[in-house]
Amino acid sequence: PVEGSGEANCVDEILKEMTQLWPPPLTAIHTPCKTEPSKFPFPTKDPHPFPS
Amino acid sequence: VQSTEFSSTIETPDYVVKYMPMVSMDQRQSYKNDFNAEYDEYRLLHARVESITRRFTQLDAKCRKLAPGTKEYQKVQEEVLKEYKKMKQHSPNYHEEKQRCEYLHNKLAHIKRLIADFDQRRAQAWC
Repeated sequence: PVEGSGEANCVDEILKEMTQLWPPPLTAIHTPCKTEPSKFPFPTKDPHPFPS
Repeated sequence: VQSTEFSSTIETPDYVVKYMPMVSMDQRQSYKNDFNAEYDEYRLLHARVESITRRFTQLDAKCRKLAPGTKEYQKVQEEVLKEYKKMKQHSPNYHEEKQRCEYLHNKLAHIKRLIADFDQRRAQAWC
């Protein structure tokens, strides 16, 4: 954006440009072999765990 | 849910070609190493963009609460310009950094998804 003429316009431009949605950061890869629950829309918890 | 990905106009990003679905644990480890190798840079850039975005979002919200033409409104507008100049001074490469961060975000998300898919397939195979 050019500064100088039409400062209000310029501010609008700046705000539009600088307030674009910024998603939260990706989390690191943790455990070696577990699926990551947050990846999936549904909880991966098994209602019937291993028979004891 | 972490499905917020940046839209990209590039046909096929290089990492989609480079990182195909994995078939072995060795491959998984190597993908994970690649992820970790760039993760720190990604987080650093992400935090930088995030703090700048937050600052301007605050100013934007302030502006919206005030009636145009008032003194307070004018003051916030000046603050925006000041902040923008400051940002340009401190981070002259802001736009490049942001782009780089978006690229890394998509790339790392891709690798992470492949690893999660692989893990899920393995978990299913054990059942």
